[in-house]
Amino acid sequence: MTDPVLNVSNLTVRFGGLVAVDSVSVALKAGKVHGLIGPNGAGKTTFFNAITGLVPQSDGRVQYLGKDITNLPAHRRADIGIRRSFQSVQLVQSLTVLENILIGLHSGSAGKGWRGIGALFGFEGPDRAEQEQVWDVAAFLGIEHTLFKSIAELTFAEQRFVEIARAIVSRPKVLMLDEPAAGLSEAEIEKLDRLLRRLALEWGMAILLVEHVLSLVLVVSDEITVLDNGRFVIHGLPDEVARDPRVKSAYLGEEVHA
Amino acid sequence: MDRTAIMKKPLIYGGLAAALLAVPLLTNGYTQYVVNLVTVYVVLGVGLNILLGYAGQFAFANAAFMGIGAYITAILSSQLGLPFWVCIPAAGVVTALIGTACAVPAMRMASIYLALVTFAFAELMVWVFINWKGVTNGSNGIGVSAPDLFGYVFRGDQRLYYLLLPCCLTMLWLASRILKSYIGRSFVIIRESEIVARCNGIDVSRTKMIAFGLSAFFGGVGGALFAYTVGLVLPQSFGLFQLVIHIAIVVLGGMASLAGAIIGALLLTTLPEFLRDFQSLQEVMFGTALVIVAIFMPRGIAGALTRFGILPREMLVRGIVRERRPVATPGRDQDLEPIGVGVTHD
Repeated sequence: MTDPVLNVSNLTVRFGGLVAVDSVSVALKAGKVHGLIGPNGAGKTTFFNAITGLVPQSDGRVQYLGKDITNLPAHRRADIGIRRSFQSVQLVQSLTVLENILIGLHSGSAGKGWRGIGALFGFEGPDRAEQEQVWDVAAFLGIEHTLFKSIAELTFAEQRFVEIARAIVSRPKVLMLDEPAAGLSEAEIEKLDRLLRRLALEWGMAILLVEHVLSLVLVVSDEITVLDNGRFVIHGLPDEVARDPRVKSAYLGEEVHA
Repeated sequence: MDRTAIMKKPLIYGGLAAALLAVPLLTNGYTQYVVNLVTVYVVLGVGLNILLGYAGQFAFANAAFMGIGAYITAILSSQLGLPFWVCIPAAGVVTALIGTACAVPAMRMASIYLALVTFAFAELMVWVFINWKGVTNGSNGIGVSAPDLFGYVFRGDQRLYYLLLPCCLTMLWLASRILKSYIGRSFVIIRESEIVARCNGIDVSRTKMIAFGLSAFFGGVGGALFAYTVGLVLPQSFGLFQLVIHIAIVVLGGMASLAGAIIGALLLTTLPEFLRDFQSLQEVMFGTALVIVAIFMPRGIAGALTRFGILPREMLVRGIVRERRPVATPGRDQDLEPIGVGVTHD
């Protein structure tokens, strides 16, 4: 067993008297997809937000590559390699796809210090290397033809993949996807499935996947954690989780398609 | 870039420069004064556009920044006898520092409160200009002597134009270089969503400080140029009406567009002069124009012109790479084998 890239232990989030996430632990490993499922209101998105630093946690610890990042602000967590997508597509409508994906490379550009500021006024333009990274990722995802379109001209699926492109263009070690399959067709979900496997196996990312589409999450995940009402229910291999009676009744209903 | 584009660009810029340099041949003293004001308001419009249009901060201190820049210039040049090439940058830098401090409330406040606080700051500055008599000479204002360079005095509006034009173009160049980069993109993303900005590694507080400082720098330099143009710095010049002009330049011209600031400055400076004989008509037209733009052209005139393909799209990237470089980096090839997820036609 390799050490987890991201180790979340006993994470608790309280909003006033409400306990949205109650002492949940998850360990994400490089090259593995970790599914996170549960009914609506189970606290999946809050859990997500606490890990990315958007919501202050009340208790628990988050460790990244062995370092405690519990008190690190959200932008610093993104800097060091924890990226995410959003449940509803969050792209800048007035910008082109190229500019939107470039936003994912902000840390690299801003981190260049005085040399970076000098590059603003240089002949070549400051974004040469960054644009090449964008082209690589766009080619990988097959969305090159959209790079100079504005977001409004894209199909919904294309917007979803542009958001994923923005999240992976900096090649983060941890990728967190919040319901990436919502609104996609069967064929598109199949492509998302292949994409997630390749990001894990070939790029070595540790992926945390919140997803309602069980046909995706049960197939692509290496392990699954189930939440209900902010509490941990079960953690295990997809088969084990799908067979668990609590999961069947609480979440999956009677029938399970695996 | 293809060959014709490479040859066309210097031609266009050369022609434009020649036309701009030739302007004083076509003007008399008065029309030249109006042209000079246009160059000043381009700088001021760019300044407010950075903060309001790009970074989406509802801050209304631009007239105050302009006033600070104008007073610094007036005091340094008239009382200390410093040359313009010290006064103008000093006005910009000092105002930028004050502007950066204004970002502090912006970090904690929702937009409507930020608008109120910055507006109060602007009113406070006018009060300071009036009442700090020992420095500002109160309501009598401070006269500004004509700037000179190695003995050449830019006296009169036609000569002054040759100082204002290079300053204005330099400021436009600066703005373009800074905005067409990760800095401009970080402004836009904090306007759209601070949450998304943070999740992409953008320090929102820092970005706001940069936006305020940069915007104030342009406000201060604009104020300095204004001081040289009008020759007399008065506290009343930097009140509410001034602010309304700046906002109108940005809104009519086009939010988040440099071309918009130029178009807005041209319109807002020249149109009132054409309508000078019809004072009441002026106000009616001004109001009508604002309403029409607000309803039908949310991105102003520049936005509409861009939509119809008349103006090129202003991208926040410079040195655009139009095609993928040949893949030659070993070890990166196989993991970038296209997956084709974006192709949705099955």
